[in-house]
Amino acid sequence: MKLANLLKGIRLPRPPAAAPPVDLPAPEKVYLPLRQHRGAVAQAKVEPGEQVALGQVVGASEEFESATVQATVSGVVEAIVETVDPAGQKVPAVVIKNDGADAWAEDTALGESLTDPAGVKGTRPSRLLKRLREAGLVRAQVEGRPLHVDLSPPMAPQSYLYMTGIPVVRPVDTLIISAVDADPPVCPNQSCLGQSIEELSVGVAALARISGAKRVILALPSGSDTAAIAAMAGPYEWEIASVSQTAYPFATDNFLVQSLTGREVPTPYGEPKDVGVVLQPMISAMDVGKVLMSGRPVIDRIFSVAGEVKNPQTFRVRLGTPISEVLAAAGGGPSRPGKIIVGGPMMGLAIFDPATPVTRETEGVFVQSAAKVVAYADHPCIHCGRCVAACPVNLIPSELGKLCEFRMYEQAADMDLMNCIECGCCAYVCPAKRPMVHFLRHGKTEVLAGRME
Amino acid sequence: MNENLLTVSTSPHILGRMSVRSMYLEYIIALAPALLVGLYYFGFPALITVLLAVASAAVSDFIASKIQKKPTTLSSLHIVCMGLMLGMILPPGAPWWLPVIGGALTVFLGISIFGGIGAYPMNPVLVAWVALYISWPESMNAFFEPQALGNGDDWAEAETLLMQLKGDISTLEMVEMSKLWLGQVPGYIGSTSTWALLVGGVYLIIRRIIPWQIPVGALLGAIVMGLIATYTDPRILELGYEEFAANMNVVWFHLGAGGLMIAAFFLGPEPVSSPVTPWGTFLFGVGIGLMTIIVRTWGGLVDGAFYGVLLMNAANPLLDRIRPRVIGKVVSGA
Repeated sequence: MKLANLLKGIRLPRPPAAAPPVDLPAPEKVYLPLRQHRGAVAQAKVEPGEQVALGQVVGASEEFESATVQATVSGVVEAIVETVDPAGQKVPAVVIKNDGADAWAEDTALGESLTDPAGVKGTRPSRLLKRLREAGLVRAQVEGRPLHVDLSPPMAPQSYLYMTGIPVVRPVDTLIISAVDADPPVCPNQSCLGQSIEELSVGVAALARISGAKRVILALPSGSDTAAIAAMAGPYEWEIASVSQTAYPFATDNFLVQSLTGREVPTPYGEPKDVGVVLQPMISAMDVGKVLMSGRPVIDRIFSVAGEVKNPQTFRVRLGTPISEVLAAAGGGPSRPGKIIVGGPMMGLAIFDPATPVTRETEGVFVQSAAKVVAYADHPCIHCGRCVAACPVNLIPSELGKLCEFRMYEQAADMDLMNCIECGCCAYVCPAKRPMVHFLRHGKTEVLAGRME
Repeated sequence: MNENLLTVSTSPHILGRMSVRSMYLEYIIALAPALLVGLYYFGFPALITVLLAVASAAVSDFIASKIQKKPTTLSSLHIVCMGLMLGMILPPGAPWWLPVIGGALTVFLGISIFGGIGAYPMNPVLVAWVALYISWPESMNAFFEPQALGNGDDWAEAETLLMQLKGDISTLEMVEMSKLWLGQVPGYIGSTSTWALLVGGVYLIIRRIIPWQIPVGALLGAIVMGLIATYTDPRILELGYEEFAANMNVVWFHLGAGGLMIAAFFLGPEPVSSPVTPWGTFLFGVGIGLMTIIVRTWGGLVDGAFYGVLLMNAANPLLDRIRPRVIGKVVSGA
């Protein structure tokens, strides 16, 4: 696996050592989108003009695949407006004007607090899961799912696994906590490395208890100071693995699962759970620990600002803070802004509105000035094969790109177009600067649209 | 227009540094050592031949783009690189019109007729080379005895080692291996120096411009086929080699002589006309190696390296069907 990682994919520059997160003061107003996750939009539970306290529920839904939204500042609800979320979709949002009191609501207690992993082991998994659901935790990634959905066993057998040899329902036996940021230089996990060790240990223990995993692997970036975490993991026999940060995209979920457990996650519809693995980023585990220890919902998010800002750093930001305010705190963006990218430079989404709020789905932004924005070219494929050498899942991107460019979507699907993971390695290495990911994404959309008919 | 509008596009938002121009620039840089050795041993006539080939290719491309009413693509250096490679596989004693016609054939017959860069199925340099070789065999065999730079302008005509080998098998025993690998033998301008080609080729592999499978496959194919030839060919058996080292010496001779090295490292892996899949590229290389030795030992032609490349080019669509297993692909019934 190590050798294959050297030959495949691309090498990204090593990100600068990340400093611990800095607390950002609560903003004047927060915009709390009622959907900060993949799934159903929550209903607003407050009226304009109402006084709300920290942690008070402002939006909730009966749907399973939905997450509760809590107030992240205390103050008066100004209005319920329509805003855009990081994925660019319109979504209703509760606007709260901060009164600066930061008074916690009295009934936010999500059960008694658990202060060490031993206490977690004495609690029933369903009770832990219920508390996570009430806290509304979400996996930190655009289109991330609510944590309780991620951890629950599948509602129904996965149809795509029939006839494959993979057990259709497989109990989860491994938990991977990843402190490796797949898309540097946006490194929220790395900057939290060695911080809040107690929360992390409670969180990891709870995740292991809920998922039923016997084996726990902590994936840490190679070359980082891991003494504190190793000391924490020792008594519980949690394994520690070192993963390269610069070999992209081998720190993404499916590749981590493959290199750490040897199991191959089925694509395109599969997920690590199908092969008995639950994978969560380290900051999610810390949030879980925080919820269980304090008995209060999490009102902030670790948020990295990287790229062309004066002081690239990681902040602890109240949910609902507009991204523009976080950028201002980082010393301001370039004079002629080009792109603000939620996520990292390789897989992130460019947003069009700097006032987009920080949500539970975001883990950081990468800022580019107008001068650095890359231009793709309308150049024919020169058939050099560099993309084939780079593709981490062994596709032939050059051919797929040509087929998708000339609208032969079904032929492309026959050549495993749908197994593309959209990591962007092919576009990165392409000497002709063809918009490879654009072609392949477009082709996938067309294939799915064609199959719907 | 508001200058502060943000750009929205699909990922990735950063791209690697390599462009078509820089890729071919590095190709030219990698060719430079072999070219310099060629110019050192074959002097002024060689320089003129190479320059004429490059100039002719460039002018032809300009004309072709005018005819097609397309913007000219000279700045991508693709055509310059093709012209340079053609010049390097012409003999130093070629008359002035040979590289001129060759450059035009490279562009018109090899590239433009198929639709330009990325579209041609066969290495255009070799298409032109074969056309020249068939049309003017005696001009294409105008080789010189090498002499170091500054030793005057009297060029003695000579035969290449492979041509001598066709007539007299004992050439094998008279050849000085160090001279052969250094390039101090009669031959095409840029293809004589094995060491220089090796240096350039390894550079291209390290820069990930050519896949390592093609050169490795070609050399491996040549070594295996060379050994088979030494142990079965009656002419070599007459020499009465018994030890393995002596037989291996014949293989070293084959690796160093003729066009094998330039075919394995530069002409075969030429980005556009070579296959892309891992096993496809490897088999492509093996095919070049096998063809080279088969033609040299049993064929009617002098050297098979260039024909091997063209033959394997024709097999490209077939080789590109050998796909690696897609990671994560769910196989029904497995």
